[in-house]
Amino acid sequence: MSQLTEEQTAPPKRVHRQRSATQWAVAWRRFKRNKSGVAGLAIVIAFVVFAIFGPLFAPYPPRSTESLLQGQAGQPPSWKHPFGTEINGIDVFSDSIWGARNDLWIGVAATAIATLIGLAVGALAGYSRGVIGGILLGIIQFFFVIPTLLLILLFSRVFQVLVYQGFGVNLIVLILGLFGWPGISFVIRGEIFRVRELEFIQAEKALGAGNLRILFRHIVPNVLTPVIVLASLLVAGNILTEVVLFFLGFGPANVATWGELIEEGVQYVSVYPWVALFPGLLVVTLVLGFNLLGDGLADALNPRLRE
Amino acid sequence: MKALEDLLKVEDLRTYFFTEAGVVKAVDGISLDVRKGESHGLVGESGSGKSVTALSVMRIVPKPGKIVGGKISFDGTDLLTLKEDDMRRVRGSKIAMVFQDPISSLDPLYTVGKQLIEAIRANNETVSKEQARDMAISLLSNVEISEPERRFNQYPHELSGGMKQRIAIARALARTPTLLFADEPTTNLDVTIQAQVLNLMKDLKKNFNMTLVLITHDMGIIAEMTSRVTVVYAGQVSESAETHTLFYHPTHPYTEALLKAVPRLDKRKQLQSVGGNIPNLIDPPTGCRFHPRCPYAIQICKEKVPDYEEVETDHFVACHRWKELSLVGVQ
Amino acid sequence: MSDEVLLEVKQLVKYFDVFSRGVFTRKKVGEVHAVDGVSFAIKRGETFGLVGESGCGKTTTAKVILNLEDATSGTVNFEGRDVFELLKSGKRSDILQIRRGMQMVFQNPYLSLDPRMTVFDILSEPFIIHGHIGRSDWTARVYELLTKVGLEPYHAERYPHEFSGGQRQRIAIARALAVEPKFIAADEPVSSLDVSIRAQILNLMMELQRDQKISYLYISHDLSSVRQISHRVAVMYLGEIVELANTDSLFEHPLHPYTQALISAIPIPDPETKRQRIILPGEVPSPLNPPPACRFHPRCPYAQEICRTVKPVFEQVDTDHFVACHFWKKFA
Repeated sequence: MSQLTEEQTAPPKRVHRQRSATQWAVAWRRFKRNKSGVAGLAIVIAFVVFAIFGPLFAPYPPRSTESLLQGQAGQPPSWKHPFGTEINGIDVFSDSIWGARNDLWIGVAATAIATLIGLAVGALAGYSRGVIGGILLGIIQFFFVIPTLLLILLFSRVFQVLVYQGFGVNLIVLILGLFGWPGISFVIRGEIFRVRELEFIQAEKALGAGNLRILFRHIVPNVLTPVIVLASLLVAGNILTEVVLFFLGFGPANVATWGELIEEGVQYVSVYPWVALFPGLLVVTLVLGFNLLGDGLADALNPRLRE
Repeated sequence: MKALEDLLKVEDLRTYFFTEAGVVKAVDGISLDVRKGESHGLVGESGSGKSVTALSVMRIVPKPGKIVGGKISFDGTDLLTLKEDDMRRVRGSKIAMVFQDPISSLDPLYTVGKQLIEAIRANNETVSKEQARDMAISLLSNVEISEPERRFNQYPHELSGGMKQRIAIARALARTPTLLFADEPTTNLDVTIQAQVLNLMKDLKKNFNMTLVLITHDMGIIAEMTSRVTVVYAGQVSESAETHTLFYHPTHPYTEALLKAVPRLDKRKQLQSVGGNIPNLIDPPTGCRFHPRCPYAIQICKEKVPDYEEVETDHFVACHRWKELSLVGVQ
Repeated sequence: MSDEVLLEVKQLVKYFDVFSRGVFTRKKVGEVHAVDGVSFAIKRGETFGLVGESGCGKTTTAKVILNLEDATSGTVNFEGRDVFELLKSGKRSDILQIRRGMQMVFQNPYLSLDPRMTVFDILSEPFIIHGHIGRSDWTARVYELLTKVGLEPYHAERYPHEFSGGQRQRIAIARALAVEPKFIAADEPVSSLDVSIRAQILNLMMELQRDQKISYLYISHDLSSVRQISHRVAVMYLGEIVELANTDSLFEHPLHPYTQALISAIPIPDPETKRQRIILPGEVPSPLNPPPACRFHPRCPYAQEICRTVKPVFEQVDTDHFVACHFWKKFA
């Protein structure tokens, strides 16, 4: 048994060069072949770049009514105001750029919160048998069936006070994050039920691995693929919810988002149609991008299609 | 032995699967003679092309598979040039198939009776629904299902695995085919149930006057059920002979290896394993495909594909060295 | 093989509760008698075969022995220590000690390896859990394990999906060997493999037994392979052992009608061996409501009134030959 180590003066070195493609690399190869998925990814990347660097070139600060004083309110698109201006003189182009930053932040940050909560609750609900599992399932089901939008509306009114302390966008992030997780939990719980009975998990138990090690080192990594797909769809959903929130007049005041622009635009749609048009197109494009990306990921990560 | 006429003749069949990873040459030049009334064994391991051969004869190769070459003649008809409509009439009424997995080969949404009636009336509207019902019930008793009237109205999930396989067999027999492919029909069943089903198949073959092609990896089932055998390896035929000859005087090293590697229930023996693994069919070994695992391989085996030669009447082998080797069969 | 007992299973019982679910209620409506009073002992360096058809409880028996499922009742002693008690004591050192002694190899090598880990990570996982190998020795030990099961060191950096079934089963065996166990429960380790590969794995198992004195519980429905590698064999039917004997006497002089039927049902790969086949009627009854008295009586060709009313005793009929049948003398 110990022959090998005695004979050699130094232990053999691991040869990492031969490390072969991980499942992620294989999935990426599949993803690259999927045209609509790649298009979705391109759209998303374009918007991210736009959101990060756009504000450097934005002609006006967010919610700036500067143009009103110059008599430029309610102007149609022109070289000076590519997307036109709204009734208070806010430059729609500038606010669309600031809105991209805010909307992406809302979509991504709220999804991150929802995913983390969903993962933790779903993982525990899936892995614990008996009473704890039952209680957690009850909690998930409760949050799943309550009319989330109404609660979101309620909360955004109740915590309106925070908005005046500069908490506007993050209030929405928090609310969407805190109510957006049950779907992810459900999927995770189901996946964990499936993976938990697989033989490699039994083998880990037989080796004496502890519960937390089994859960986080072996089960969770194996249920992540549907989460990635769901999360990318959830980003799109969160952006849409943001728009709805403002559309219904529940958004915090004085925050530059697409929803805010659309809400204003729709009020005066017959007079200043461009105010709602451009941000509307941006919302549709970005949501489409995330949906295409999610679909592409679902195909690429689906083990049944794997060769 | 009386010379029997050929019912099915497959010549140099090639069926490839065009996958993302490359072209899988699942069947790469398989030839097969099945004579009227015989039980012909098609033996091989996973990936040998034995199932794909049957699917090719039926012309139901799933995508991305495609028959790319060869000739299949059945009872004088060239199946590969037949129009799809005509082929559909051949399937079921002349050639039928029983699959390995009885669970997925029955539709869970329909009752046993519905599925049998559908099979009986497919391409055959002259049979009335009432007639079909009676025929279905008599089929159920043919496959020795107790209480056929009750089973008729049950759904597949209410039946055990052995029962489902009997139903699948009944469905295959619905149009009294002349040729039946049975693809590992008992692999998913328990041994005592396997014994029942094998017995049933023997009886049915006699009563329905059928020709049977039994596809299996189990040399025990081959020994017991078949009169002639074709051994396939990595998409090609390695040897074909009468069952007795194949077991006692094998001329291909792969046949010998199979016989040595299979444990026997009735005596203890030293298991001799074949080294290596089953080859990848995207990039199969050059020359004789068995050479990387063959204990007798020499230079020529790596370079040249062996011819399929006649050893004696009814005994063919594809090996460069069959003349000089004296291989050991069952002892 | 020595005469010293390594593992002793006493009156092992495992029932699974069956519930009927309402909207708010969950009512227990019955119990699946998966394992019902199984006892046997495995000696050091011995291969003990456990055979039976699907649903007879053979896999559950292995899982309960390794406490992958909780036992309903019964005990398992390993090297004289009560396994369940030690595992439940919660003392980490006791748990690890038991886990190092007993390992399991599973039926499906496509499901028994974590698809997201390299072979190196899979094989060094036991070192992390048990800490019995210093980190600097991991590479040497992983390479040694791979060589021992007939693989190459360069395989360590690959993922399970790049291997064939037989190679995966070798990796699974290597993982079990990583803790240097004295006992391995092998649950149908070759039944999902190709015929020409099965012999490789069985031979590997026997080789390891010769070198390291490992004891096996070899679970299989394939009686032919059981005959090749087992020293003693027990036959299970509906959760109970109906016959237990050393391999040759079991296969040559089976005393239980079920064993006889099982043996006669196996096709022999020799066209000249024609045997009288006993075809059992019907199918294995549901373990939810097993038949009373002798559980085999509804399918037994020799069943009498007593078989329906009185449970047969599991009695010793010869050295190393036990059977539970009222009429065994008829077949002796």
